[in-house]
Amino acid sequence: MVENCMQNERAFCTSECPFHLDIRDLITKIQQGRFNIAYKTYQNTVGFPGIVSALCHEPCIPVCPMKDAGGAISLKMLEKAAIQFARSREPDQYNMPPKAARIAIIGAGISGLACALRLSTKKYDVTVFEKSSRIGGHLLDLPDNEIFLADIELQFKHEKFSLILDSEITDLNLIGFDAIYIATGKDGNDFGLAQNMTGSWATAQPGIFIGGSILRAGTMTAIADGLQVSTAIEVYLKIGKMGNGDEQPEGTRLKPETIRKTTSTAIHAADGVSYTKEEAIAEAKRCLKCCCDNCVHFSPLMNYFSKFPRRITEEVEISIHPSSLDGHATLATRLLSTCNHCGLCKEVCPADIDVGEFILQSHRAMHEAGKMPWAFHEFYLRDMEFSNSEAALAMLPEGFSKARYMFFPGCQLGASYPDYVTKSYEFLKSINSDTAIMLQCCGAPADWAGDETIHSEVIEGIRHKWLDMGKPTAIFACPMCSQMFQKYLPEIERKFLYGFLEESAMNAASQFVQQTASVFDPCASRHEPDLQQTIRNLVLSAGFNLEPLPMEKNMAECCTFGGQVAIAHPPFAEFNVEKRIRQNNYPYITYCANCRDIFVKAGKPVWHILDILYGLNRENKALPDVSQRRENRLLAKKTLLHQYWNKEFTMNLPEKLLIISPELREKLNKDMILESDLYQVTEYCEQSGNKLLEQDSGLFTGHLQIGNMTYWVAYRILDDGRRELVRGYCHRMKIEEK
Amino acid sequence: MAEETTKLICCKCNKELEMIKTDFSYLGHTFFTELPRCPGCGNVYISEELVKSRISEVEMQLEDK
Repeated sequence: MVENCMQNERAFCTSECPFHLDIRDLITKIQQGRFNIAYKTYQNTVGFPGIVSALCHEPCIPVCPMKDAGGAISLKMLEKAAIQFARSREPDQYNMPPKAARIAIIGAGISGLACALRLSTKKYDVTVFEKSSRIGGHLLDLPDNEIFLADIELQFKHEKFSLILDSEITDLNLIGFDAIYIATGKDGNDFGLAQNMTGSWATAQPGIFIGGSILRAGTMTAIADGLQVSTAIEVYLKIGKMGNGDEQPEGTRLKPETIRKTTSTAIHAADGVSYTKEEAIAEAKRCLKCCCDNCVHFSPLMNYFSKFPRRITEEVEISIHPSSLDGHATLATRLLSTCNHCGLCKEVCPADIDVGEFILQSHRAMHEAGKMPWAFHEFYLRDMEFSNSEAALAMLPEGFSKARYMFFPGCQLGASYPDYVTKSYEFLKSINSDTAIMLQCCGAPADWAGDETIHSEVIEGIRHKWLDMGKPTAIFACPMCSQMFQKYLPEIERKFLYGFLEESAMNAASQFVQQTASVFDPCASRHEPDLQQTIRNLVLSAGFNLEPLPMEKNMAECCTFGGQVAIAHPPFAEFNVEKRIRQNNYPYITYCANCRDIFVKAGKPVWHILDILYGLNRENKALPDVSQRRENRLLAKKTLLHQYWNKEFTMNLPEKLLIISPELREKLNKDMILESDLYQVTEYCEQSGNKLLEQDSGLFTGHLQIGNMTYWVAYRILDDGRRELVRGYCHRMKIEEK
Repeated sequence: MAEETTKLICCKCNKELEMIKTDFSYLGHTFFTELPRCPGCGNVYISEELVKSRISEVEMQLEDK
């Protein structure tokens, strides 16, 4: 999956640099004011820092993305600053034993000298033949050439090689060396050899390489050739291979459109000549250090953990296939349980890498291996089970044997407020009387939990009911349900409730005229541009002014409900909820019940689009707690059955018998503990007698494992026989009582 | 794990709870500690404080292991 990842792709400047200087690295050092180490980096890459910094033709300038954002980064000036402010410009001295291999370099121009410098540093036996009486080749024709000669002298300070001047080589066979570099310069003798295009300046003759100005113009390329030929020669000497030594593919796959630019004014040297330290640091800080990091910037998961796809896949792999001695280590469990499955990582990746899909598959593998902590998903799997049993409903409209449409509101819409479902169905029935209803969960919790068995049961269940209804078109209120159908029930045609509302020109109350709000697109609407536009049309026709959010439409972010990560990773969820609601100070309008409820809970004024269209004022209404969310679903079912089928449905809510203070109720909601579970524990205690008496308080206490979770209660029996709940809590560890 | 201070009586056996070794398991790991238990039927008591502190810490450690 990650082989196409561009994380390590060269920056544009590095790609154009004849030396492929690691400019991100160099810049970082200058930014930190570490000029000495910056100089070392530069010296090690270019061989002759004095010459290169003076003569470089700056091919980096035209490709710098900052060129139209305040001015390209002046690397040449920064390189000069690195030289000027380095503590020592002396080359390093290496104490290594001499190597026996003998290398001849034909030509003491700068390319031959660059090759000689590298090889003599590695203690090869190097002999340079020069037909003239001087070294430096074409550099000597340039003004200020004494500076260049001084740099050559400095860099060779600790190295020895044989220099034979006034010696023109005419036949390579006569000199008898293990390897030869032909660097005879422009119009020089090529000895009848040419560069063999297999790479690395190899000729067709084993051991003989050619490069520098004889092949192509340019002082920089001449030096770069000499340095790279030294590596090719080493490869040849070690393994006898010509070509394909150390050369890297040219260019870069980095995409300019993925670079996020911030305009800043280029720093000019106050003295007009060279930077001060402060000026150099300021200019270095303008550098974007171009790299492909869209995923780490935008993906909530990768941003939170500061990890690139490659690292994530490695960590997930060792979690699925543990390498620890006991075979139990699952290091990335928390990380992979933090994915919202929002799809933003793939959306922003120029290489289309889908880390989300990879993580989803890893959930399946973890579940299969029994390594996925059950606690991360059990609450919502039980919630789904409730939606698909007690709260489920699949009905054809009275008088129809098949339906053209089927309203699928999704389990959380009715859980928030039953009238979202009942009013929507009423509306849909009024425009198409042959609209069926299907109240249940779309299976997302099982998909996210990686439980393929349960997931396929849910999907098959929906498919059967849909077939029985005569293959109606599904009408969704929740983009997530629609996305799940698209993925797992592609044969079902899909539409959104909101399109019907727009077509019917339902006019919302005019109270919103001149109010400004922002549409928060749910992440599952990412690839539903028509839906996103419909919502905007509805909002505008209700009288609102629209203020776009920075992250909307195809860049939509998850409200953090996706993947139900708040259980596995509460700090991640809290951090990201804050981030979402702080995008601006206007109220949000959304079309996902989960986005609405999560943001309202965090204190953001949010409307569900249906609040606006149906004129539902929730402002002073508390959000339903986890127990009420179940009750609301039953209530929606009861109302619909009564209204459209004249059937009575008894809501089974024995927990209503418990007396619970508002404070405790709030605490239970925060801990996601259902009152029905705690009622079951008290019932167990009373029926089995397995209870303890707290002598001081007179409270009874007891526990019961429901699913995998162990629930505890402390309660008292009131005079009328009712039970007053005083405490309720739970833990994931199992007590081995047998 | 900390000892509880409230005096607890098992309603079934009418016996006061004593600190007795108790086994736990979570995510394939097993361990034990001393907790108030009925010496007769073995019924256990774990306080909310203990659940919110040490137990939840250990749970998180095991999930990250």
